[in-house]
Amino acid sequence: MIGLLQAFSALRITGLNLFRAKNTEPLPWDGGRVRPERYRTSFALVHNSDGDEACIGCKMCEKICPSQIITVVPGGRAPSPNTGKPRGTAKDFTLDVNACIHCELCVQVCPEDAIVMLRVPEVPGFSREELFLSMEKLYANEKVPASWGTGALLIGMQAEGQPKPPPPPAKAAPPPATTAGVPEATPPAPAAGGGETP
Amino acid sequence: MSVILENPWLLGAVAGFVVINAMMVTAAWSIWFERKFAGAMQNRPGPTQVGWAGLLQPVADLLKLIQKEDIVPTNADRALFNLAPPLGMILVLAGLAVFPWAPGWVPADLDIGLLFILSISSLITIPVWMAGWASNNKYALLGGMRAAAQAVSFEVPLLLSALVPIILGGSLRLGDIVAAQADGRWFALWPPGPGSVAFVLFMLASLAEANRIPFDIPEAESELVAGITTEYVGMKFGLIYLAEYLHTAVSSLLGATLFLGGWDGPGPDGIHWLLLKSFALFAGIFWVRWTLLRYRADQFMALCWRVFVPVSLACVAVAAVWRVYA
Repeated sequence: MIGLLQAFSALRITGLNLFRAKNTEPLPWDGGRVRPERYRTSFALVHNSDGDEACIGCKMCEKICPSQIITVVPGGRAPSPNTGKPRGTAKDFTLDVNACIHCELCVQVCPEDAIVMLRVPEVPGFSREELFLSMEKLYANEKVPASWGTGALLIGMQAEGQPKPPPPPAKAAPPPATTAGVPEATPPAPAAGGGETP
Repeated sequence: MSVILENPWLLGAVAGFVVINAMMVTAAWSIWFERKFAGAMQNRPGPTQVGWAGLLQPVADLLKLIQKEDIVPTNADRALFNLAPPLGMILVLAGLAVFPWAPGWVPADLDIGLLFILSISSLITIPVWMAGWASNNKYALLGGMRAAAQAVSFEVPLLLSALVPIILGGSLRLGDIVAAQADGRWFALWPPGPGSVAFVLFMLASLAEANRIPFDIPEAESELVAGITTEYVGMKFGLIYLAEYLHTAVSSLLGATLFLGGWDGPGPDGIHWLLLKSFALFAGIFWVRWTLLRYRADQFMALCWRVFVPVSLACVAVAAVWRVYA
């Protein structure tokens, strides 16, 4: 008898569910939902503010990548077509997303913020080649919204999280705000090289 | 037109063609309906991708099933294995022959229409058992044996609860039973008592006959992989699947005819009332199926013999007394 009552209460709940809103998020091609700021999937290479390709071919991302999926072919120094100043270039840049573990280390290590991760759901492919990103594909991805924690932005975030520097000593007159605290904020350099001295 | 109406063979052929095709299409899209309905109950949208609101999903499923390789297990009994799915389909469809869809719309107006339907639908156990046996698979065999045990047990309360409208209506012809419920005196409502209880028992026993949750122990995914359909692929699986939905649809039609007054309703009588009532029963079956859990095999047998059979016997006795003295 109790079982029968429970059955009816279960039927009531499922019956009410018929008229409730759906919990499911729409599929990506039906709109989807707004992804969190640090949602990160695939990659893009970007241009800097001068309009040059930001990558200088320093191979740091290639060296730091735990999965060793990035290959950079440096193109040597050449004058920039936009500013005329000489700067490093990359002849080729490939990234195999098949083996990517999405650790974002390449983005963090990049000195020029040239590589960013994308803030859109990953699109699966029908072959391995579709997930192998050539330089053209990476620059084509520049138009896609990027993840927030990229390069210098990430460094800024990490600086923000650090404890505030101590206030300057009161005895001296307060120096101009632009320079105040900056020397104090940098931690004292450790006594590096001590071991090297004989 | 008059040529068709006067010749019983032609009439049967035309009516059969129309009814069978309509029911096959209904069964295919009832799968879509069930998936949408189940989705709504679980706060998700169900199929949305194929066609508008996923309406072409049955077509996509059909194309997928037809494309599949037709595999027969090495040591299976090939003839029985291949015969079981179409035979089940034929037996389910045969029951539709005697339904009174509307006043005067009966493909085959048998005197013993109800007996015909009940005997045909109890024959469906045979293809199920054939499928279980011929697969040469322990899960399929267990499923087939459970189906046979279930059908033998639940045949008793099904027939006893169907006896109530027979006694109250005084006929085995479905048209007469519907006519006896005219003007809202539906057997599920009037006389109060035996009819409504028998209605509930009849629908529950029909669920068991059609192997639907909570009585789907022949299939029992969590225990028997897929029960009798374990070894079936492609369109043969599709036929078994479709036959199950058709069986459910026939059960709802029969429940609406026997207990809810068939074509009778407020306003003009007609096929729309029968379709509306049976659709409500159909949706109710899905509601139960997506809410409740499966019975264990022994609980299920106990429920049948200790509850359903005595209660349905009591219903028959009360209905008989009412018929004689009231």
